[in-house]
Amino acid sequence: MPLLDVQDLRVDLPVEAGTLHAVRGIDLSVERGEMLCLVGESGCGKSMTSLALMGLLPRRAQLSAGRLDFAGESLTALSERRRGQLRGRRMAMIFQEPMTALNPAYTLGNQLCEAFLRHRLGNRRQARERAIELLERVGISAAAERLAQYPHQLSGGLRQRVMIAMALMCDPDLIIADEPTTALDVTIQAQILRLLRDLQQEMGTAVIFITHDLGVVARIADRVAVMYAGEVIETAPTQALYANPSHPYTRGLLSCIPAPGKTPPGSRLQAIPGVVPSLVGEVEGCAYRNRCPLVREGEVDAARCERTPELRRLTGDHQARCHYAEHRAATRVAQPEMSP
Amino acid sequence: MTVSTSTTSRPSRAPAAGGRARALGELPLPRPAWSRVTRKMFGHRGLAIGLVCVGLAVLVALFAPLLAPHDPYFQDISNRMVPPVWHDKGSWTHVLGTDKLGRDYLSRLIYGTRISLTIGLVAALISGVIGTTLGVLAGYFGGRVDAFISYIITTRLAMPVVLVALALASLTGGSLTTVIVLLGLLLWDRFAVVSRSVTQQLRDAEYVYAARTLGCSLPYILVREILPNIAGALIVVITLEMAHAILLEATLSFLGMGVQPPLPSWGLMVAEGKAYMFFQPWVIAIPGVALFVLVLAINLLGDGLRDLNAPGGRN
Amino acid sequence: MGTFIVRRLLVALGVALTISVVSFMLLHLSGDLATSIAGPEATAEQVAQIRVEYGLDRPIVSQYLDWLGGALQFDFGRSYYYQSTVIDLIVERMPITLTLGGLALGLAVCISIPLGVVAALKRDSWVDRLALLFAVVGQAMPSFWFGLTLIVVFAVTLKWLPAAGSGGLEHFILPAIALGYYATPAMMRLTRTGMLEVLESDYIRTARAKGLSTTSVIFKHALRNAIIPVVALAAVELGFMLGGSVVIESVFSLGGLGQLAWDAISRNDYPVVQAVVLIIALFYIVLTLLADVANAALDPRIRTR
Repeated sequence: MPLLDVQDLRVDLPVEAGTLHAVRGIDLSVERGEMLCLVGESGCGKSMTSLALMGLLPRRAQLSAGRLDFAGESLTALSERRRGQLRGRRMAMIFQEPMTALNPAYTLGNQLCEAFLRHRLGNRRQARERAIELLERVGISAAAERLAQYPHQLSGGLRQRVMIAMALMCDPDLIIADEPTTALDVTIQAQILRLLRDLQQEMGTAVIFITHDLGVVARIADRVAVMYAGEVIETAPTQALYANPSHPYTRGLLSCIPAPGKTPPGSRLQAIPGVVPSLVGEVEGCAYRNRCPLVREGEVDAARCERTPELRRLTGDHQARCHYAEHRAATRVAQPEMSP
Repeated sequence: MTVSTSTTSRPSRAPAAGGRARALGELPLPRPAWSRVTRKMFGHRGLAIGLVCVGLAVLVALFAPLLAPHDPYFQDISNRMVPPVWHDKGSWTHVLGTDKLGRDYLSRLIYGTRISLTIGLVAALISGVIGTTLGVLAGYFGGRVDAFISYIITTRLAMPVVLVALALASLTGGSLTTVIVLLGLLLWDRFAVVSRSVTQQLRDAEYVYAARTLGCSLPYILVREILPNIAGALIVVITLEMAHAILLEATLSFLGMGVQPPLPSWGLMVAEGKAYMFFQPWVIAIPGVALFVLVLAINLLGDGLRDLNAPGGRN
Repeated sequence: MGTFIVRRLLVALGVALTISVVSFMLLHLSGDLATSIAGPEATAEQVAQIRVEYGLDRPIVSQYLDWLGGALQFDFGRSYYYQSTVIDLIVERMPITLTLGGLALGLAVCISIPLGVVAALKRDSWVDRLALLFAVVGQAMPSFWFGLTLIVVFAVTLKWLPAAGSGGLEHFILPAIALGYYATPAMMRLTRTGMLEVLESDYIRTARAKGLSTTSVIFKHALRNAIIPVVALAAVELGFMLGGSVVIESVFSLGGLGQLAWDAISRNDYPVVQAVVLIIALFYIVLTLLADVANAALDPRIRTR
């Protein structure tokens, strides 16, 4: 039984022009100790998905799901009280903006120990010891002194390390990391990624890592789910996805990444032309067809793309939401370096 | 729509482009929200109420001689303290009754609108000129100029306005003109604070920089580039200071140091009615309510304009 | 931080000195003092005599320096009207005004902060609209008229509280309500906007993601940050209320500093007027300093700079 089992998750937001279908029926499953990467451009619904899983959606948002099970329990059936007991305890979250995600008015120690004490995992002394232990584990020196410091006294990279330690305080089963490295410098990004990967393997915590950067995915993920316009359009084990990207959008994303040694110097980086369709109101047919190179080049029957494609199983664990997933166009994909 | 243009522009490579473009055009695209502004303007209830009430007050002030049923200064000792029409002893001759000298209350109220509006408008304009000049100079030049002007602003804020106004009004003998000038000289602080901070933000804007590079003269930049862009914020301050000036004038007149009798200032009317308020509460209720409604309407107008100025959020 | 405090104190000192000049000049520049003291029926000889008696014939600068020298030792001269020194009058009346200001501020804080918090939490609900209405009405109500209305309703009609005069605490209730309502709207609105802003912030989402209780999220994480500017505003409002006490005290015949000032103004008792203006300004200066201190104490980003 997977740790997290999601089927047909939908999130609707009322907006002035009607209803925004931010998440349009996605299926996800995460095994214990697995790292799943959720990839997509901004506005594709990946952050809404993570907030829905945490139960932190804005009040006006409406959630529905065929199944939303966490460790065998249905999250939709839980009372708000019981949900609060899970949140922070068994599922934790790391946010994108380390500069603003910590409360400026309280010390790090206060904020680190808060969840531990709230979920009654021990007394103040034990909370403090665990905080020091975790701060050291995430690579912060002089951990005991840091507890008395305030967030503004730390750099962005250090704050993100504190956020990671904070997420680990209660030893959760699942951590959702929503673009945790986007706001950081490139060198620090790499450090934080390695740290997350190491911790995940060491502690056996499942992680949903949300990013818009496929280059990041290759380095850390066990499995990848690519999102577009509120749907999962392709999901596969990382190796399989890079070896055999089957949805034209995934191929487009991959060709946007420069690969050392393969992208000729001085050549233009690719971009996907066109814009994401508005998710206000119903979207009929394939959501990608207005940008799809297969349609544009006339290689496939566009009429068929007017019908909404299903997420189809191609091989084993590889699924894609495209009528022409088996079609191999002339678009050749430069593959990024895979780290071991 | 934007997506389809790329396909239709290359018909040679895709023969069926026309048909496909139409089909693709059905995909909904993000739409601009231009209608939000207009909807907000008409949908803002406070702004609408404020606008209507202030408009009415202006009309009443302009056409006071036509609207007033009696001469506001005509004393009729035999008809003193006649209650308003809804009272048992009231009559339609004096709809709002008469005061202690037998003057028609409604007529005095109508002429009082002129005093309040004149004082509010002129005082706000005087203080607007003073405050905006100081604020723009401080914001544009920064450094020592800013330090000095900020110092003046701090000093002004530390002075107890009501006390100083009272003392000065008492010394200068209190007349409509002196009260207006006094309030104009005292109430410029908010203009200065607001225009200073907005100018600071504008100082480094691209177009101001461009004007400077083109060699435009300083007065030209300040008046043609900066001023139009702080006008929105200033209009809000004008309404708020108008309300402030009207309240202060009423307070000064109530305390006997402002507009002098027999002028029908609302504050003065409350003061004159004070001795009778225990048995004829309407003598203070009527001018008080008039004052309240006018100030409320001006404030609603100001709040509404501020909302229009700064999108998102009521406050 | 150290230089910041020193600079702040120097500015405060400068402002205090400037105001002393202003409050001195205020009364000397606006006409011939001797004539107005002597009154309209005085002969030229009497006016000349008064001019010498009060030292009004000397150069204005030396008059100011004398006055300032005295003021620094709390000697503001003698009242023209009362047979006592100005400082005695002020010391005698001060407690009344401070009690009134303190009560009014307490009332304003107790109403505006909870109301602002609830309005923000229940944004666009009827509570929010009611709170907004309460604020808008408070801003438009002339305080002297509100005071008179309170007297008519609670003292005359209901006979619950005394209408005027000073004495026990019951004499302060109506004036404190009238004065406090004046300060409530601004503080309520600031609390509301502050809460709305903070509730949208990332750290509130973090706090919720930790599974904290709603109470803890609202009070520990949100209010703690939203309240910082409100505390500073409260100090400034107290300064304004001390200045505004002249109106409320004369409506309720409360006999504090404000009424002393009003009486002094009506009687051309200039030494008293100057002293009260200066003292109320000094209170304001000290209160704004305290507001800065409170800001630094509440906001670690300022404190540990």
